[in-house]
Amino acid sequence: MNLLDIRNLSIELKTANGTILAVDRVSLSMKEGEVRGLVGESGSGKSLLAQAIVGVLDERWTVHADRFHWRGEDLLRHSAEERKRIISKDVAMIFQEPMSCLDPTTTIGSQLEEAIDNNQFSGNFWQKRKQRKLAAAKLLHKVGIKHHEVCVKSYPHQLTEALCQRVMIAMALARRPILLIADEPTAAMEATNQGQIFRLLASLNQLKNMSILLISHDLENVTHWTNTITVMYSGQFVEGGTTRQIFTQPYHPYTQALLDSSPKANMQLPKKSRLAALPGSIPILQHLPIGCRLGPRCPRAQQACVHAPKVKNHHGHLVSCHFSLKGGN
Amino acid sequence: MIIFTLRRLNLLLFTVLLLTLLSFSLSYLFPGDALINLSGEINATPAQLAILSDEYRHQENIFMQYWAYLSHVFSGDLGISMASHLPIIEEIKILLPATIELSLAALLLAMFVGVPIGFIAAIKHEKLADNIILTVAMFGYSIPVFWLGLLAILVFSIQLGWLPSAGQISLLYEIKHVTGFQIIDILLSDSAYKWQAFQNATAHMILPTVVVALAPATIFVRLARTAMLEVLDKSYIRAAKAKGLSFGQIIYHHAIRNAMVKVIRDVGLQFANLVTIAMVTEVIFSWPGIGRWLIESIYQRDYTAIQSGLLMLSSFIFLVHIITDFIYAALNPLARESNHGA
Repeated sequence: MNLLDIRNLSIELKTANGTILAVDRVSLSMKEGEVRGLVGESGSGKSLLAQAIVGVLDERWTVHADRFHWRGEDLLRHSAEERKRIISKDVAMIFQEPMSCLDPTTTIGSQLEEAIDNNQFSGNFWQKRKQRKLAAAKLLHKVGIKHHEVCVKSYPHQLTEALCQRVMIAMALARRPILLIADEPTAAMEATNQGQIFRLLASLNQLKNMSILLISHDLENVTHWTNTITVMYSGQFVEGGTTRQIFTQPYHPYTQALLDSSPKANMQLPKKSRLAALPGSIPILQHLPIGCRLGPRCPRAQQACVHAPKVKNHHGHLVSCHFSLKGGN
Repeated sequence: MIIFTLRRLNLLLFTVLLLTLLSFSLSYLFPGDALINLSGEINATPAQLAILSDEYRHQENIFMQYWAYLSHVFSGDLGISMASHLPIIEEIKILLPATIELSLAALLLAMFVGVPIGFIAAIKHEKLADNIILTVAMFGYSIPVFWLGLLAILVFSIQLGWLPSAGQISLLYEIKHVTGFQIIDILLSDSAYKWQAFQNATAHMILPTVVVALAPATIFVRLARTAMLEVLDKSYIRAAKAKGLSFGQIIYHHAIRNAMVKVIRDVGLQFANLVTIAMVTEVIFSWPGIGRWLIESIYQRDYTAIQSGLLMLSSFIFLVHIITDFIYAALNPLARESNHGA
């Protein structure tokens, strides 16, 4: 059974010049214990999608979906409050730039303690306080922070980015989530710290069977840690499938371009030649192309691309393109 | 934190020195003889003048004169008033506490009313409550204080007769002068009518305090609203929401504290403004404070009183500034560290 099953989720931004469709009918499903990568350039709506799932978008955004199931329960039948309550019980999220996601005027300890559910404890309130402290220390140990006494007393600005991200993960673990959404958890971090955070997430996935939705712009890096990958471009679904499928035989020209754009060590390049990349840049929200939004940049674009393509399923490998690389449509 | 404290005290010291420099230069800038302006002895005989000139080292260069003035000020001698011929320091000792009482009461009232209303406006952003609060705040800020004071007297003292219109306390009560702060003196006194006196003094305080507090309160409303809106847009609020905290928890544990940090910064700045309003209000309500005394001194061209009064009043304002800086540091861990704080 799918843990999370979302069909045709759209996110609209209301502006003075009418509404903008920031995320256009994206589908996403997660199985239990799965690590899924959500990949796309910056501004492709990955973070928006994640925030819409957790329900932390503010009132400027409106979210529609045809289906939104959580562990078989239809969440669309509940009110927004109820939905958020159910989701926040089992789904936790960590953000990019962890330091800005921690309250700068409160100590790490008290921020961590308030994330812990009250009904995990027993006894009177003074006993609970002690248990709460203990639970906070345990959580810090779990994410690999040994000196919890120092960490608990410090303020966010006294820690490094990587330590802050560990604290964020500890907070996310406090509710014992089934699904962890990691929104670019290692953006602006050194390579060693990146590796540590990813290994930590991988071990949590293996030891606790926690599903992880890993959002990243770095396809190359994500392939090491994920089972399945969904690729997005400019708010539209591009391609989805197992990591092997995507990495070895991409069907969508965009995915192909993403893979080609990452330089390899054994690459034979003539001097001063250009690296492979798609021409142009991702369109801004105010000037989105009609139909397939990759159209203007796509090497295989033809007249039919002014209509958005339907998602085609090739043995679990989903692709949304009129002229996919599969051949012989 | 020690470095922070030392820095603030350092700032206090140098600002007070600068203020004395200003007040010393005023004695030369005011019309008349500098020595008489400094000491306030307008009817001095030539013999007395010679003694004064010796005391203030007026035959020597300007630096020695300033040094002599400084030692006079720090030993508590501010000269005598040209109008009343009383030592100015004695007058200030009686008058300044009344002003401190009024302005601090008004500041606290403005903060305790203005800041929460501003927070409410921010939480109800762009809804009816927000618009009403902003409109009322704009209106309150635009009313001139002298007109508001007169209106308040007209309505609450004369028509309704609820509250007294002038003075600090009814003449019936005799309170011994200990600290100069009326409320504290009443509580310290052992009079049989202590509580009646307390009630009477409080009743006298209500109207002037409200009048002084209105304009700063509207400023605090807007400051608090902006600060709260800014904080609510921060990513740690979104992260707290994703943590599953309720809206109330987020507001109480995270938003208010961070918004207060921003508001407190500006409280010190607004205080100077508040004291100016208090000076006008003191005249309207015959409040025996230093503001009214200063304005009267200006009318009477009592130069000695003006320069000493300015010195004391600005020192007091600056002291409040420093105190708000300490509160700011207590709320904001970033400011406590030497490499982050200013």
